[in-house]
Amino acid sequence: MSRPPQRDGSPGDALTIALPKGALYHDAAARLRAAGIDVPEHVGRKLTVTTQDGTTLLFLRPSDVPAYVEFGSADCGIVGKDTLWETDRNVAELADLGFGYCRLVVAGRRIDRYHEGAPLPTFLRCATKFTRSAETWFAERDLPVELIELHGSVELSPLVGLADLIVDLVATGTTLREHDLVVVEEIAASTARFVVNPVRFRAKYDAITALLDRLTAVPA
Amino acid sequence: MRLPAGVRDWLPHELARKREIEQQMRAVFGRWAYEEVQTPIIERFDVIERGLGEETTDLLFQFNDRRSTSLALRPEMTTPIARLVSTRMREAPLPVRLAYIAPVFRYYEQPQEGRMRELTQAGVELIGAAGIDADAETLFMAIEALDEIGLRDACFDVNDARIVDGILDGVGLDGDAAREAKEYIKQRNLVALRKFERPALVQFAQRRGHHGAIGIARNVCRTPESLAALDALDVLLERADALGYGARVTVDFALLRDLEYYTGFLFEGYVAELGFPLCGGGRYDSLLPRFGFDVPAVGWTAGVERLLIALERRGKHVRRRAHRVDVLVAGSDVVAARERAAGNVVRFAGSELGDDALLDEARAHGIPRVVIAVDGTVRELRVGPRVDGLPVPRTPSNWDAR
Repeated sequence: MSRPPQRDGSPGDALTIALPKGALYHDAAARLRAAGIDVPEHVGRKLTVTTQDGTTLLFLRPSDVPAYVEFGSADCGIVGKDTLWETDRNVAELADLGFGYCRLVVAGRRIDRYHEGAPLPTFLRCATKFTRSAETWFAERDLPVELIELHGSVELSPLVGLADLIVDLVATGTTLREHDLVVVEEIAASTARFVVNPVRFRAKYDAITALLDRLTAVPA
Repeated sequence: MRLPAGVRDWLPHELARKREIEQQMRAVFGRWAYEEVQTPIIERFDVIERGLGEETTDLLFQFNDRRSTSLALRPEMTTPIARLVSTRMREAPLPVRLAYIAPVFRYYEQPQEGRMRELTQAGVELIGAAGIDADAETLFMAIEALDEIGLRDACFDVNDARIVDGILDGVGLDGDAAREAKEYIKQRNLVALRKFERPALVQFAQRRGHHGAIGIARNVCRTPESLAALDALDVLLERADALGYGARVTVDFALLRDLEYYTGFLFEGYVAELGFPLCGGGRYDSLLPRFGFDVPAVGWTAGVERLLIALERRGKHVRRRAHRVDVLVAGSDVVAARERAAGNVVRFAGSELGDDALLDEARAHGIPRVVIAVDGTVRELRVGPRVDGLPVPRTPSNWDAR
């Protein structure tokens, strides 16, 4: 970790890889290490690291990964499919890495029985961090809805009457159970993806396809 | 007094740089014997829809006139030129070579760099010419144009829309499945393509290369159209090689451009450090027939703002004065006229200004000479260097009130 990263990605065939901090980091780092890239176990407060072989790693908030890749500040990156749905950035999805499994679901209070087909309120309110996905899901069903964008613990909102439904990510279902919430419908399942900038795929073709092969050769 | 999202003003020094790029592009177009045309910014909606198909019309700025005729701002220039050629230029001897440098408009919900609502396109259309000679002409011209503006390392990926159809047929996909797969190929979404359980498809979508890659595709393709397209790409690579472009031209079988009218040869030009292509084009033999004129056509276009971004990122965006001024003259129409007659650019200063004010003005505009005429005597002042500061906000925001 000596020289600062290049402004527009690394020179030559060395790659700049965008990595998500948080829940996906451990598995993403392990997979890259298995593919021969010296990724640290812990990020700490570092924003970026350049490894011995010249690979630059960017440690980002997960929802920022697609923007760094789309604009080419990173050549490629690892990000959850749920983030790709939300950000709608123009990146090429080269591999499903299998880890980071979770489901994007519509959930409600058990006592409201929406999961058993009880009619939804006329003036339906839904709280979520995933506004784009939620908007699409309700629009596809022609359901008028008031979407309330939240940033913290969405599961609180139906309990205090802020919303009738929530759209949220569920990994194990523990959080829902703890608050007596149930899945009304599963929207889609998400796992971590290896994504690449469409132009950089061409410009660094050999390096990117080699990394793709190593990432997908490793058993999940 | 704000601008709408996704559009921008061009200040004198910025516009000067843009015009310089446009002049360089225009010079290349001229050397290849293309003549510039201009069409209206507003078109009838049905004309645009006829050219671009229903899906792309999402991107339109659309409105009605007072008689409820549906109108739209043009989102690209190929359709207006197809309309022009199939109406008023029908009798012109073919092939017709036309060029344009013109603003186009796209309704992006979220405008961003490289995706502005108003952008300038510089491009050409070669109408009434089929075959590889015409395809090669557009590609080599695009390479020359990017060379001309100083992007000599720009690379170009080439493909042919008929090859992907051949591959889809070769792996046994048709109908909706083939359409879906084609969309995923365009996005290079290998994850979605794996779900079709046809490994050749995934291989195809990530294969780039030269003669070897074409050879591999020949093993999958069966349709005569796709095989002919592969032969043509082979020849194109050889011709690129002969011009010294061998290392800059690569076949990318997943290259499929957004607009639906492309029917054959396709290419895109890019530089490594920018995340989006700079220019692109291809063959669109089905477009003019939609306007009742049954002739083939091929063309390409570059985004002028994208070219400027690429140059600026490389530090080639020389911050230049909008207008070079040679001399600041105060106090005499006659002296000013004499300077202009000598070929100098003259800025006229108020005769009430003292020496210090004149020097300040000269420094502020980078003018090397100041000539002052008072009561029949003419004298020249020396101009020292200029010191720049940060711009001051015109009306500072009240952040407490925001």
